[in-house]
Amino acid sequence: MLAVDVAAERLGLAAGLALAQARAMHPTLTAVPEDQEADARLLDAIADACQRYTPLVAVDPPDGILLDIGGCAHLFGGEEKLRDDLLARMTHLGLLARAAIATTIGAASAAARFGDATTTADAGRDGRERLAPLPLAALRLPDEIVAALARLGLKRIGDILDLPRSPLAARFGADLLRQIDRALGHEDEPLTPRLPVPPYVAEKSFHEPIAREEDVLACIVRLAARLETALTARGDGARRLELALFRTDGAVKRIAVGTSRPLRDPQAIRALFVERLAALGDEIDPGFGFDLARLSVLNAETCTDEQIGLGTREDPAGLDRLIDRLSARLGRRRVSRLVARDSHIPELAAAFVPAQAMTRAEFGWDAFRRFHAEAGLRQHPLRLLAKPEPIADVFALVPDGPPARFRWRRALHEVVHAEGPERIEGAWWSEEGGPARDYFHVEDKAGLRFWLFRAGLYRDTTLSPPRWFMHGLYA
Amino acid sequence: MATAPLRSSPAEEVTARIEQLRRQLGALEALGGHTGECGALLALGNPVIDGALGGGLGSSALHEIAAAREAEVAAASGFALALAARMTSGRERAVLLPASGRNVIWIAEDLSLIENGALYGPALDGIGIAPERLITVAVARMRDVLWAMEEALRCRAVGMVVGEMRPGGIDQVATRRLALAAAAGNAIGFILYTAPDDAPSAAVTRWIIGTASSLNAERGDGIGPPRLLARLARNRRGPLGTWIVEWNSVEQRFELATHSEPVAGAAFDRPHRTAVA
Repeated sequence: MLAVDVAAERLGLAAGLALAQARAMHPTLTAVPEDQEADARLLDAIADACQRYTPLVAVDPPDGILLDIGGCAHLFGGEEKLRDDLLARMTHLGLLARAAIATTIGAASAAARFGDATTTADAGRDGRERLAPLPLAALRLPDEIVAALARLGLKRIGDILDLPRSPLAARFGADLLRQIDRALGHEDEPLTPRLPVPPYVAEKSFHEPIAREEDVLACIVRLAARLETALTARGDGARRLELALFRTDGAVKRIAVGTSRPLRDPQAIRALFVERLAALGDEIDPGFGFDLARLSVLNAETCTDEQIGLGTREDPAGLDRLIDRLSARLGRRRVSRLVARDSHIPELAAAFVPAQAMTRAEFGWDAFRRFHAEAGLRQHPLRLLAKPEPIADVFALVPDGPPARFRWRRALHEVVHAEGPERIEGAWWSEEGGPARDYFHVEDKAGLRFWLFRAGLYRDTTLSPPRWFMHGLYA
Repeated sequence: MATAPLRSSPAEEVTARIEQLRRQLGALEALGGHTGECGALLALGNPVIDGALGGGLGSSALHEIAAAREAEVAAASGFALALAARMTSGRERAVLLPASGRNVIWIAEDLSLIENGALYGPALDGIGIAPERLITVAVARMRDVLWAMEEALRCRAVGMVVGEMRPGGIDQVATRRLALAAAAGNAIGFILYTAPDDAPSAAVTRWIIGTASSLNAERGDGIGPPRLLARLARNRRGPLGTWIVEWNSVEQRFELATHSEPVAGAAFDRPHRTAVA
């Protein structure tokens, strides 16, 4: 048995007991198989909910959560109030939780797990006094060391605090001393937040939970206006924003939007969230309402103020705003710009890149044009199929020549004109592109123009004849 | 009575009345979003076709281009891109757009992109439209094509919007909305159907584009520039017609294919217009 609940504890059961033994004592016992992933998920969800108190939240597996409340406890009426609020929420969620506040991670963890949780709120007291009566296991030590110390009669932290350090280190390793130092604050222990701390944050809590979309949007405008002041002061603009909505039952909904140029305007930020909320639809389930909303700037960039021309209707930011709106509603990857890539393999020569990710003048078409003009390349097809499609019943007059007839998507095409071949081979250093391809530009009787290729050359394939593929369509 | 105005002759009265009715009608049409005038005109660069269009395509209006068959979507996209090339290159003097307003937004359903392939950058240059000017939007549903089209048409920085979709499933209210958006945003909108559609629509013109054989005795062997069979199937402002056109990417204009097989003559449904065909 790995863990027992309160009722089982009252019956005298404890973790570590064999299940068969426990069943023998209490046949009506309910046992649930361990699910570490589900445990981790729950812990993560709780940590998410704790994000309402401070952005610096870390998970302390398997069952702990660490909060750095330095500088933000006063927002909740003091450290004790914060702790009481946190515990009340946990109880509300049906969780049994203990919390302690201390100056170091080690001390807090020891007090929460082994101390008397009701009297551990006093963070100002000397760490030694508080730690001394606690068992050694509270120092987050490996079990072997705790057992070895116990054999020597050292059971409480107070027993080893005043022992000479060097023999301790020699006997039990530097780990023991480090944990003591960390708990006492002699050595710094950094808290690694589970989420990066955003550079700009604005939040608002509600006495009465909000659930309507209009209320959320109005709140976004208010928060964005506060962010605008902070952003302007530092000359920044937001490139990526996240709205975190804390539901009363502990769930946290996060909605992120991106922008294609640094943004400060609250109304523009609101417009992006309008699209995002519309796209999400019912996914944002307000339940019994949200009681805290936080708008954070995940990525900020220097924002240069632009002068708007007098009397012209030109709006240089107009296109970016459109791209942002479309990206927010449809998804970032769906709004793209065409970029030329340095490759002669047709499907790799051009790529669709999210328009939001593009900044000015890096599309690569100038280089492509120069190369195209110098090399005197043939006309390319207007539309390229996502994947070359095999064509059947190919009949070519000469083995290496263009097809005279072929079947594609069940229709038979009689070739009237053909140009080619244009041979394209992968680079010698890579397998990219597969076997050599001979491309032909053909026109059928109806005037349809295709770009098709034969994969592999006759001289290379002695056993099976090369296969034909349709790759593109001309206007 | 001396104070009463002189009564005009009955003929003059009728003329005045007709004139007044015309003005009322004009005002009503302006409200409805499709006036006789659709902003500046985007000419195709061919006097015959432009004559039928009354100078060119209205550049703040909605138009429809349908592929004659599913297999001819590439031809229809070529037609739309050729028009985009005319608009963005600045050769078209009638359409005076600021440089920032010459962007082209191409919106397509995923299904159509799988079936007909995505636009291929290296070819755009050949037609004459700079790939830098193009922004492509891939959407999952037809509703999103329409939504994105309306958004893009209303944007002042966009000169042309093409929405590629299957026919059917779009009603007159939707096309009316798009037409109004085009007028409001001063952008030219094209609905690119992957097959012909007969549904009523608020579009000013409807084109049905197919391929034509590029067989050319003068040129000898080889495949020439794209040659299209363009049928003007609806035209609010003038006669209809069918032409075999060839895109001249150097001069960026459509040319009538000279040595082509004969085509059916233009159908003149607006006798009060001078038809040039």
